[in-house]
Amino acid sequence: MSFVTVLGLAVALFVAVPYLAHRLRRRRADERPFAAAHLVPPAPPRARRRSRLEDRSLFALRAAAVVALALLGASPLIRCSRLSLSREGGASVALAIVVDDSMSMRAAFGSGSGTRFERALRGARELVGSAREGDAIAIVLAGAPARVALAATSDLGAARGALDAIGQSDRSTDLDGAIAMARALVAQLPQVDRRVVVLSDLADGKPDAPQLGSDPSAPLWVALPELRGDAADCGILAADRASLRVRVTIACGHGATTAGREVTLRIGDKILARAAAPAGNGGDVTLTLTADAPDGLVARLEGTDAIAQDDEALVVAEAAAPAVAVIADSAEEAAATGGAPIVEQALAALRLDVALRPIPAVPERASDLQGFVGVIADDPPGFTPEQRAALAEFLEQGGEALIALGPRAAAAPLGATLEPVLAHAVGWGEMKAKGARQAGAVAALSDAERSLEELGAHASAKLAPEDASAFTTLLSWDDGTPLVARRAIGRGGAWIVTLPFAVGTSDLTLRPGFLTLLDAWTDEARALAVPLRIDVGQPWTFASGADLAVEGPRGPLAITRDGSLARVAPPLVGAYRVVLAGNAQTRVAAPIAAEMDLRPRAISPSAAHGALGDTHAAVDASWAVALFLLALVFAELVIRVERARRPQAAT
Amino acid sequence: MTAPTSAIRTALDWGGLAPLRLRSRLVAEGVYAGGHRSARHGAGVEFGGHREYAPGDDLRWLDRRSLLRHERLLVRQFETETDRALRVVVDATASMGYRGSLAPGAKLAFAAVVAAALARIAIANGDPVGLTFIGGGERVRGVPVSGGREAFERMVATLESAEAGGDATVDERMLDRALGGIARAARRGSIIVVLSDLLDLPEGAADRIAAMSSRGRVVNVVQTLDPDEARLPFEGTVRLRALEGGAVVETDTDATRDKYLASLAALQSAWERTLVARGGRLIRCETSEDPVRVVRAVVEAVR
Repeated sequence: MSFVTVLGLAVALFVAVPYLAHRLRRRRADERPFAAAHLVPPAPPRARRRSRLEDRSLFALRAAAVVALALLGASPLIRCSRLSLSREGGASVALAIVVDDSMSMRAAFGSGSGTRFERALRGARELVGSAREGDAIAIVLAGAPARVALAATSDLGAARGALDAIGQSDRSTDLDGAIAMARALVAQLPQVDRRVVVLSDLADGKPDAPQLGSDPSAPLWVALPELRGDAADCGILAADRASLRVRVTIACGHGATTAGREVTLRIGDKILARAAAPAGNGGDVTLTLTADAPDGLVARLEGTDAIAQDDEALVVAEAAAPAVAVIADSAEEAAATGGAPIVEQALAALRLDVALRPIPAVPERASDLQGFVGVIADDPPGFTPEQRAALAEFLEQGGEALIALGPRAAAAPLGATLEPVLAHAVGWGEMKAKGARQAGAVAALSDAERSLEELGAHASAKLAPEDASAFTTLLSWDDGTPLVARRAIGRGGAWIVTLPFAVGTSDLTLRPGFLTLLDAWTDEARALAVPLRIDVGQPWTFASGADLAVEGPRGPLAITRDGSLARVAPPLVGAYRVVLAGNAQTRVAAPIAAEMDLRPRAISPSAAHGALGDTHAAVDASWAVALFLLALVFAELVIRVERARRPQAAT
Repeated sequence: MTAPTSAIRTALDWGGLAPLRLRSRLVAEGVYAGGHRSARHGAGVEFGGHREYAPGDDLRWLDRRSLLRHERLLVRQFETETDRALRVVVDATASMGYRGSLAPGAKLAFAAVVAAALARIAIANGDPVGLTFIGGGERVRGVPVSGGREAFERMVATLESAEAGGDATVDERMLDRALGGIARAARRGSIIVVLSDLLDLPEGAADRIAAMSSRGRVVNVVQTLDPDEARLPFEGTVRLRALEGGAVVETDTDATRDKYLASLAALQSAWERTLVARGGRLIRCETSEDPVRVVRAVVEAVR
């Protein structure tokens, strides 16, 4: 603050002058000796009281006028703490504002009067407020995945409206993606001066990543340094219930511990179980429930830390990594070198993120298929009615089946059929085809075509014409009959291969194309499987989402449709009620461990010093102060006129 | 709490009324100082008129001509020239020491001028004069009734040394001490002139003063007010502290002036009614007035 500013503001000290004058005027009335005092009526000094009231209002007016004068004197130099854009030559600016709406922004800001997100949003409003006609504004949200909240526009009203619509989320942080997106948004704009302003705590879980803003091609300003600060936070990543046991997984940010805290299981306010949180930087803790424990339990990490939202999680049925059930005859389908059946070895070789669960036969209860994303059955000798019902329900719920048809499938015993995959019996017989056709495969299996020539198969499964027409051929024999085909059943689907996986029947399983086939099928199975718990911000994908409604902690969620696929991305941590085709289900969006690490990422010096803007902007408020002063003068005139009118009214 | 008498005694502010001796002479010379008729009728040199004969009348004054002409018994009367003692009672309580901005001097100074002038006139006519103070403290003593030039000098000296002091509202016997001697000793036909502001005298003072008019004595009360007291010219809110009694009133004079003047008029009317009923008279004056007018009014009243 310069000397001139201090001098200007010092004028405000004269605010005491009206007060002193007021005090002098309000001193006790002059005392006079007067012999006939007893004849003077001790009437209430009405005029004095009136004067006192008027004095008070006049005093307030004059004090305000003195302060206004002081401000007016210092107004060219007044600085207020708000973001603004600095301009060179008054040119228009293309500005992309990156607002971080990730979970780490829920941490308290400053003295705790608000959250980091609220300050960032306020800063964005201040930036938009400092924009002028001709400036272009774009808004990008840095919560993963980075999203465009407002494409570049010169409509400042739309920018303000977009900011009003932004809400806090619990997503992870994708600063790099958001900055790249912001740069792309302003890159093609006609303004010469293009800038990206980041309003974030920079806690993206990658404190050791390269500095932000090191790219000199696009100016970047990381404003609001007060948002950046480390803090301790722990949260519950998962709470899975298996029978009477509940396993609670806890993670902590850098330097945070759960020492002294405990984990409780609650139903409402009632605590059903409690245990000490694992010592150190997170871990698992298992709590045991009584036999009559109800569903709908909530696990809570007691105590306080930087972010409260991740200290609570809904307990759901245990959900492990997606698994594939494999039903294969180890005796016939094992490789000559021994070991697991060749289909299991092939899946393991693919190193897919799925678990393999060999089972002897298709389960007879649908509940036994829960947790599987798909079932692979090699040359099954038909399905019993119970197996058929379980498999049908599994497929209807979005499961995927891969059925290899061979001689045993064709020789199914009486009462055993391949429903619901095939409605009719399958034949097994010789064929003239040598291998797969070299054209016509679907994209996913196009790589398999060449490797599946000359399979050395002498026979193949023969589909009934009605079944053949129900399937979509993905890969065909060179005689046109289907080698790999698929049909949709409910929200799931069934693939068939007209060769068994036994190495003695053909070379199918020995060819690289077999791996391609398994990879394509697994991808589809995983895509159709909707996990019960998902990382917040990641979408749930539903294969058939025509009749889908999702309601979360903040109300119904918008559903993105892509053909028959429907996607819903939960923005907040918590429970979501999903109603699909009339069936209600509770799913959970879990916090991301990286968001609990509140260490800020490093930024380049050029991005920090704020050449593109100013946190302490000079604001010329003299016009407002002058108007205020004018209003004060007018108010005093009104009071004086009113004061002069009162005695007349009294008479 | 009432202040002691000594504490409220104040030095007299003579102002433009000094010196008393010269001033009183000028005032006295401004008043026609002819001899006054005696209140006594009877033997004398100047015919004073007729009246119906009453049994017991001296038959020497029976008008025989009237009896013969009108067949009525009439008695001739004659006025007798005689001396009439002038008793001046000056209120010297604390309130009389007040001098407002519009007055040439304190009320007591004004009263002293009037008293001295009256004394000079009386002495010039051969009448004896006496002076009595109401209040004024222990050092202030009156002048016994006497005649001649020396009496005037004593009176002037006494008035010049007078100080305003004492609180008549507290010391109710103060009035009795002043009036008691006059009531007892004043001869028939004496003229009693009371110079006071009448503002701080105790309750019943009017009756007690008017009561002195018995036995052929004439009582005239000259209410001496400062212009401030007569008009209440103050503006705005003031705190008025009584010089006697200790009353303090904070008031807005603009709003209460009319009520005050009405109260003052009521006080004067009460005094006037009381005095007139006993043959006396109330003369109002302000210290800003010419003392000549006041003295002339007194002389006219007693003539």
